[in-house]
Amino acid sequence: MQQKLEQIRQEAKAALAAAEDSKAVDELRVRYLGKKGEITAILKQMGSLSAEERPKMGQLANEVRADIESAIAVALSEMNKKALELRLKKETLDISIPGKQETVGSLHPLNNTLNKLIDIFKSMGFDVVDGPEIETDYYNFEALNVPQDHPARDMQDTFYLTENMLLRTQTSATQIRTMEKRKPPIRMICPGRVYRSDDVDATHSPVFHQVEGLVVDKGITMCDLKGTLETMAKEIYGSDTKVKFRPSFFPFTEPSVEVDVSCSECGGKGCRVCKGSGWIEILGAGMVHPKVLQGCGIDPEEYSGFAFGIGLDRLTTTRHKISDIRLLFENDLRFLKQF
Amino acid sequence: MKVSLENLRTYVEINVPAEELCDRMVMAGFEVEEAINTAETMENVVVGKILEITPHENSDHLVICQLDVGQGEPVQIVTGADNVFEGAYVPAALHNSKLPNGMNIKSGKLRGVVSNGMLCSGEELCITEDEYEGASVNGILILKGEPVPGTDMRDVLGLNDWIIDFKITANRPDCQSILGIAREIGVVLGTEFKPPVPTYKTVGDDINNYMKVEVKNYDLCPRYIGRFVKNLKIAPSPDWMKRALKASGMRPINNIVDITNFVMLETGQPLHAFDYRDIKGGQIIVRNATEGEKITTLDEKEHNLTTDMLVIADAENPSCLAGIMGGLNSEIKDDTTTLFLESAKFRRDSVRRTARALGVRTESSARYERGTDIMNTEYASNRALQLIYELGAGEIVDGVLDCNEGLPAERELSVSVTKINALLGLDIPADTMVGILNSLHIPTTLNGDTLNCRIPSFRDDIEYMADIAEEVMRIYGYDHIVGTPISGAVLRGTVTPERALEDKIKALLISNGLYEIATYSFIGSHSIDPLNLPKDDSRNNSIKILNPLGDEYSVMRTQLVTSMLTVVSTNMNRKNADARFFEISKRFIPKSLPMTGQPDELKTLSIGVYGENEDFYTLKGIVEQVMKLCCAEVKFERADEPYLHPGRAAKAVIGDKTVAVFGEIHPNTADKFDLTGRAYVAEIYLDMLSNTVSPLVIYSPLPKFPAVSRDLALLCDSEVPVGDLLDIIKKAGGKLLETASIFDIYEGAQIPEGKKSVAFSLTLRSADATLTDEQTQTVMNKVIKKLSEAGAELRR
Repeated sequence: MQQKLEQIRQEAKAALAAAEDSKAVDELRVRYLGKKGEITAILKQMGSLSAEERPKMGQLANEVRADIESAIAVALSEMNKKALELRLKKETLDISIPGKQETVGSLHPLNNTLNKLIDIFKSMGFDVVDGPEIETDYYNFEALNVPQDHPARDMQDTFYLTENMLLRTQTSATQIRTMEKRKPPIRMICPGRVYRSDDVDATHSPVFHQVEGLVVDKGITMCDLKGTLETMAKEIYGSDTKVKFRPSFFPFTEPSVEVDVSCSECGGKGCRVCKGSGWIEILGAGMVHPKVLQGCGIDPEEYSGFAFGIGLDRLTTTRHKISDIRLLFENDLRFLKQF
Repeated sequence: MKVSLENLRTYVEINVPAEELCDRMVMAGFEVEEAINTAETMENVVVGKILEITPHENSDHLVICQLDVGQGEPVQIVTGADNVFEGAYVPAALHNSKLPNGMNIKSGKLRGVVSNGMLCSGEELCITEDEYEGASVNGILILKGEPVPGTDMRDVLGLNDWIIDFKITANRPDCQSILGIAREIGVVLGTEFKPPVPTYKTVGDDINNYMKVEVKNYDLCPRYIGRFVKNLKIAPSPDWMKRALKASGMRPINNIVDITNFVMLETGQPLHAFDYRDIKGGQIIVRNATEGEKITTLDEKEHNLTTDMLVIADAENPSCLAGIMGGLNSEIKDDTTTLFLESAKFRRDSVRRTARALGVRTESSARYERGTDIMNTEYASNRALQLIYELGAGEIVDGVLDCNEGLPAERELSVSVTKINALLGLDIPADTMVGILNSLHIPTTLNGDTLNCRIPSFRDDIEYMADIAEEVMRIYGYDHIVGTPISGAVLRGTVTPERALEDKIKALLISNGLYEIATYSFIGSHSIDPLNLPKDDSRNNSIKILNPLGDEYSVMRTQLVTSMLTVVSTNMNRKNADARFFEISKRFIPKSLPMTGQPDELKTLSIGVYGENEDFYTLKGIVEQVMKLCCAEVKFERADEPYLHPGRAAKAVIGDKTVAVFGEIHPNTADKFDLTGRAYVAEIYLDMLSNTVSPLVIYSPLPKFPAVSRDLALLCDSEVPVGDLLDIIKKAGGKLLETASIFDIYEGAQIPEGKKSVAFSLTLRSADATLTDEQTQTVMNKVIKKLSEAGAELRR
């Protein structure tokens, strides 16, 4: 009997090892472990054994049963593993096929650049304010130290709507509105549309955009102006960018400067982009004119400030090397999709 | 202001190359618009002496010249001109030469005969009769005298100069003159400035024997100086003067006119010479024009004058527009023998207004408009007399008629060194400031911390400490400014709630595949016509630009649809198959027309979509998302917009306010915009939405009990709005109805004509317990009953 049990153990294990699927395993389970199975059949013969042999044989039979059961478990788990492997293999995808995605649009390049500027200036404590595009002569000129019949009016060709109302030629008008409403410390930028009677060509548009900046507080210096603009220029054009001041004239700042940044294309060596000079003019700036402060009820003896006006369109076209400003207003999808 | 470098050397020592001079002037505040090396305009053109002329065998108008060009061997050049002769000295452009008119000359064959260059006319060398006698002759320029063959023509013509065009800022009218620029160069280079010191001899007599001057309006003419010259000898000016005039863009005429122009260029003070014969009554009256008065100016144009315009009149008529242009009747003529010379100061705004009103702009008016120096009138008149004397152009009569109501006293400005440094953020030594200011001809002394500056009359622009700071800084050098962070309180930058909302909307639209566009705020006066709006529609009341660039940019837009449709059309016609666009910009709505106050500038979102996968509902979906983002509880109603498809037009309303209009473009409008397919456009009035603040979300507990799902299939008339049915379901479903949505709408086979099938999916749930079948059925029965009342029957 012992021999028989050992034989069953060997046969069952071999058969399970060779089983091809779970159905075959089930059949083997029935054949060996089932109610009419081989082990049961052997146990039925237990009665013929002596009292000494019986427990020994019983124990052996249980061992064999447990052995077969565990072999069945192993076989099944192996089989599941194989089946899973097979499924995963079958489900292999061509990962080179592009993913499914919703079309995502984009901001206009002008606003893309503007958002960058807003981030930079907000982080330096500047508020972002807006002002009207249709302005009175007072805010656009007079309060900015450009009286009627002043030659400085020639600097900008103005679109008039009435004798006294015009399309603002500069966001600087918002400087006055801000200083009238708020007391120092003031740090603000005003992005917006401005208008000048320039014929349309590759570098001129009668509609363009400026970002005005104004800081008024005690002890504001021209070095602060440069520091602020350097921070901006490095963020926009890269950390190696240098900033240069050139003396200039604006009626509402004194001293006034044109601000150049080192050409990001050639690093200042001189190239086609900077017309060989190594520098690109990006904005005008200066210390707020004492007359302007006074006019807004701010004592120039106590406070000082600086102001600047960034040409957003030029900043955008130089950043992205857009050769013709007209592309910004044509809105060809193939252009817009590039940003 | 264009100046010749060689001319500048007369007034100031220039010890650096032209390029360096330009760079240093830029850093002192004088931008260089252009710097032309005249020597570079012409190359390899030399004096040639014609040795022999022979006929050309293949041409009866060409001849073959053998020239001595200083190279030993003669050079053969073929020419077609008929004024050449043996022994003539002519300009010869040799092989590989460059002419000022842009031509490059190379050896070649003319009708089979070798020509090693070209003989040049005055025109080809870009010179005029004024610069070289005979230059205007039709043919080759025949050179005067016997210049050495081979001499560079640039030396013969004086082309070894630089013409530098300095941009003079509006605050520096004193530098609209060669002397002003020379003075600045002296400061920048640290070299000596040598203004001419006018000296001349008079011939006795007395101006009072001839002339009387009366100024009736000292406000507009604070100073008027008159001088008198007799026995004039009108002749051409000397070459140096012609050259200086031409370098600055003026045309030489005769010695007297040229002297007045030259002195204006030199000193910045316009002068005017009158023919004494034409001054009626020997009297000059500076007065306002009278009503209806007329004048014919030098350019033979007649002007109607108004009483605010200042004229220089004689006893009878106006003979000059003060500071702008002389009259035709009193100009200097070839036979003028006696002249009256005017050197005056006119108020700049008056000259500017008159010049603009009459549409006349001259070198003189340009200078007066920017402002002239009252003290310079005397110097300039003396300088003109000096030149008349030196050139022997006339005899100067004794006496000066100087009309003024007292001359301004010299201004003193005291400023603190500490404050200048505080403004600049630097620590410039006081001595350095004193040195710079004195070099700028602003006599300055230091008293403790105070700079006492005497402001010269030509520097009217200096009024404040900041002006002195700028003068110091531009000479001290802006390179000294070192960037520092702003000192003071730490501030937090904010944006307006409107801008914050716009940014959120833009992010939403971009994630929906929309591209942002930018279009002009002004449109054509007829751009709105294709929208077919009724005449009384308020959108027709747009603000007009008084001086537009052209009709297409002439009115401020009252809607964004036309701009959007233009962009859609451009893209459709460029075969961009599908697109989604948006723009946030302003509509300009006048409160009244003509405008009396600032108009409303209303922020508006416009959306335009087209393409194979776009329809009314894709647009509506976008609009709904925007409304949701703005926390706007809107109702959708049919819209009556003439530019939209009548069956596919909707508006979103809150109460009685329309906050958005959208739909498919009407075929008539589409045609006029040249659209090649259907397009869908929305206009959303952000000004009506932006005040809605998104409320703080209060959490609601997650459901503990399971939901029950039920579907409803209904049959109703085709016209019944499905949205209404949904509203009925939501209302009837009450508290237990969690969600209700449409999952199918069908018309066609198996559905009776004029009917449609609509299927809804409902979810019911109670927060307190699992719903029983009974509870569910009660709700469903109520819903079905209400739907039935509305004409929607359960499909069986």
